[in-house]
Amino acid sequence: MLAFACLMLSCMAGAAADAAAGAAAVGAAFKAPYIPAGDSDVLQEVPSVTDPAVASMQGLRAQFTAQPQGLPAAIELANAYVDYSRQIGDAHFAGYAEAIIAPWMAKPLPPPGALLTQATILQYRHQFDDARVLLNKALGEDARNAQGWLTLATLDMVQGNYQAARKDCAQVTNTAGFDLGLACSGNLLSYTGQASRSLDLLGHAAGAGDKVPASYQAWIQGLMAESAERLGDWPQAESHYLNALKLLPRDNFLLVAYADFLLDRGRAKQVLRLLRDHTQSDTAFLRLALAQSALRSPEAVRYTWIMAARFEALRQRGSDYFGREEARFALQLQHDPRTALDMARRNWQVQRAPWDARVLLEAAKAANQPRAATEALEFLQQTGLEDPIVDPLAQELRSQMQSHGK
Amino acid sequence: MRKTLLALCTLAVSAGAGAHSASDAYLNIVSDKSPSAAAAASSAATVLHGQWDIALRDLEFVLKLNDRGDGELTWGEVRRHQAEIEKYAYAHLHIAGVSGGACSIEPTRQMIDEHADGAYAALFFDVKCERSPGGFALNYDLFFSIDPSHRGILVMRSGNEVATALLSPQNAGITLNP
Repeated sequence: MLAFACLMLSCMAGAAADAAAGAAAVGAAFKAPYIPAGDSDVLQEVPSVTDPAVASMQGLRAQFTAQPQGLPAAIELANAYVDYSRQIGDAHFAGYAEAIIAPWMAKPLPPPGALLTQATILQYRHQFDDARVLLNKALGEDARNAQGWLTLATLDMVQGNYQAARKDCAQVTNTAGFDLGLACSGNLLSYTGQASRSLDLLGHAAGAGDKVPASYQAWIQGLMAESAERLGDWPQAESHYLNALKLLPRDNFLLVAYADFLLDRGRAKQVLRLLRDHTQSDTAFLRLALAQSALRSPEAVRYTWIMAARFEALRQRGSDYFGREEARFALQLQHDPRTALDMARRNWQVQRAPWDARVLLEAAKAANQPRAATEALEFLQQTGLEDPIVDPLAQELRSQMQSHGK
Repeated sequence: MRKTLLALCTLAVSAGAGAHSASDAYLNIVSDKSPSAAAAASSAATVLHGQWDIALRDLEFVLKLNDRGDGELTWGEVRRHQAEIEKYAYAHLHIAGVSGGACSIEPTRQMIDEHADGAYAALFFDVKCERSPGGFALNYDLFFSIDPSHRGILVMRSGNEVATALLSPQNAGITLNP
């Protein structure tokens, strides 16, 4: 789940009209506007130059500003912005990235590099169809573009197109080499009931050497954690999560995946510690709210309220759809299985990673509507996913359907 | 090449950690139905009151408010940059009378407003028009050039009526009819 845990939150299939219609309140402000008591009151955390990623972005920005017509510098800066957005769980920088490459995207024939970066931004926002169009265009221009194939493989995996993903991974091997191809295929196998083999392949990919960047190693370790989870090998999964976080301690996407692991193991207190400094990220905040609720803390109500306000703010801006995360929120924090089921079903039309199946199955079960999960159950059967949490849920729903059918 | 690719691959593969708060601003406008406003035919009178909440995170990106560079933006830092914030913001909001009368936006004060995703600068303003403007043409282009995904969420109240609009690069100019 890890590779795509990142994809979960921004299932935005925009519905601006609804959003505007629902915007009766003033963006859910908490209290009346005020004048802070003292000059030293901290109002907002902002990116700090003491963060190496921020310093590096500043360097790239200077390089770009010196030569704003240069595409390579623009792409490098835009990619750094998108990566930073992902790392800290804050979509603002993805918007800045879009502005940087906008002049090239406005050309009648945008260069493949700009198309790829724009596709990455759209994918980050879960505009999967639009992202796919750009990726195909870019690969049509430049069929040797490894990043393009890898991005397409990701897209196909998150949408459950596993046959297509297999071909994409073969192209990754052709264009980027054996190690990256192994990582791609290893990732894919964890969705098709071959988690053990997936771990083998990822283990080989991890052995690519010390010369590769920490982000690559952390990515592989995260994928291995996911595969180990699929095998129900919790200690191994945890050690891979910890390895990954040692390499990238502030990575939102790893933190959130590890938090989900801890929540499933009944270790909510650790989630509070893990994510204490990451309240800015919506995905992290949801896990904090879930942990507060699991601990039956008096804080749970406040966290739930703030989370609801954040979802509302997303709706107001036209990002109506937050699929997987919002379904989980509705089910577990608002105790509203019908709404959860509705969201989970719509989400299933957009993305089909194991977490999407799980959320749909859980909602169908809670709403006592096993038939609502039919499509997902068929998908699971066809693809052969094996997962110690999804499997028993699927079995239960299937037998409920049979007994209902009698 | 290989090193670059490996760096990029993680970007490609995990590119999606999204739908975290993107950039929003909240523009709330209330029409002033007081008698003095109604008598605006003769001299400039206030016809609208506004509150514009702009995220400090966004203002930090364009104006560099965090002078100490420590990642903790304080009230003192925001206060020292209020004139700059005002100048920047009001350069990106224009309101004119539909029937041709000149209107002006007059900033009144700045405060802080808390939203679910962080602290915002709350910019209060009045709109004054020389004669009864009929309706208003509002043009908004805050942050669009640096972030096309920015959205302005406009709520207009007039008596008991509430109208809303989502301001975006594709929908930057709208007409208000209080």
